[in-house]
Order: sequence, then C-alpha cells, then structure tokens
Amino acid sequence: MKELIEYIARSIASNPGAVKVTQTEEGGQIVLRLEVAPEDKGKVIGRQGRVAQAMRVLLRVAAVKDGTRAILEIM
Amino acid sequence: MEKAPPDGDAATLALETVTKILAAANVNVSGTLRASHDSEADGPVIDLTGEDSGLLIGRRGQTLQALQFLVTSIVRTHHSDVSRVVLDVEGYRNRREVALRDMANKVAERVAQTGRSITLEPMSPADRRVIHTSLSSHPSVTTESIGVGENRKVTIMPRRKK
Repeated sequence: MKELIEYIARSIASNPGAVKVTQTEEGGQIVLRLEVAPEDKGKVIGRQGRVAQAMRVLLRVAAVKDGTRAILEIM
Repeated sequence: MEKAPPDGDAATLALETVTKILAAANVNVSGTLRASHDSEADGPVIDLTGEDSGLLIGRRGQTLQALQFLVTSIVRTHHSDVSRVVLDVEGYRNRREVALRDMANKVAERVAQTGRSITLEPMSPADRRVIHTSLSSHPSVTTESIGVGENRKVTIMPRRKK
C-alpha cells in the first residue's frame, strides 16, 4: 500500500525525490502519511482535492485486497 | 513488435502507469491498448480484464473513474496534447452508457408529462456527459449540471416554450 501511494505521488510530483511515505498501524488500521516538497503539495491534493480523493479510492481497493483498512494523511 | 505510432509515447506511458498502479494495489487485472489515440477521447484507450474486474469498477464506476483520473493526470504532466486517457473494464463503459441513456429517456418522458424538473443523483463527468448528449436534441426537455465536485448532478427540466 505504501508502494501504491509512493508510485502515484512520485508520478505526479515535480520533485519525486522529496516524496516520502511512512506506514504505521494504529488502532487496527494502516495509516499512510504522505510528505512531498512544498511546491508539490497542491499537485498531490489536486483541484477540489480530486487527486487526494482518487488516491484514497485506490487505497481502499488495495486495503480490501489485503483484508484491512487504511487511511491516507497528506502532511 | 508493431511500430509505435506518432503519439505512441503517451499510450505507452498510459499503459505502463495503469499496470504499475494496479500491481501496487494488488489488483489482478491486466491492460491492453485498444487505441493509442482515440479521436473522440483525444487520447489513448485501454482495456482492462481479469478476476478483480468487479472490484476495479467499484460502486457506480467510482473506482474506475478514480484510476482514470489519476492516469490522465500523470500522462498529461508529460504529454499536454492528450486530453484524457480512457479506461474500460470488459465493456463496462458501453453497458453503462446504454443504461444511462435508457434512464435519461424515461426521466425525460416524465418531466415532459408533468412539466416538473427532476434532478438525478450525483454522477461522474463521464456519466453526466452521456445524459447531456442523449437529451441534447430532445424536443421537450433541456439539461443542466448543478452542484460542485463530487456532488455535481444533472437536472432535467421542461424546455421553455417560445
């Protein structure tokens, strides 16, 4: 799941090297925290949050396949 | 291997991006290129098939729409000449279009009979486009999209008499 968010964020970011995703487990669910360069924050969120929303939809599918729950936080 | 068409780069990137995202999401679906540049879509069209096809479509096509949006965003960062990348799962788009047209016509009939507008449930841009185009030449109703973002929906209303 970390790889999924990493791959998407790196593909969208203008500074892919600064993309960092950390994965932790909190209260029975997986929490992914995405960090990007300041100039890329708008890109990974998108207009009206559409990019972030789309990443969350795909993350849900990945979590279903793994039999777990996951949330994405953009730092 | 076939010779890459002039716009083959965008199509190759689109297919590679879809494949990588699906693999990273652990979704068992594979993609093939239907068209490297479809004129209506103004971009590549990719067919997806496999055991997780239902999961990939999602409720009312929501998951497929999210994937298509991301792939389009990624491809457009490198190829600004591409308008969008279209993803289809086992003929889903065509089936959905037929169902939407059917529904649009039924609702239009009711609006025409009662003279009262009816607002449909929130829909994706692709679905709304189908409703608008299928009713664009209807003699007694017109359509309009209202609301923002995820909540954008189509209203079908009586055409004003001249």
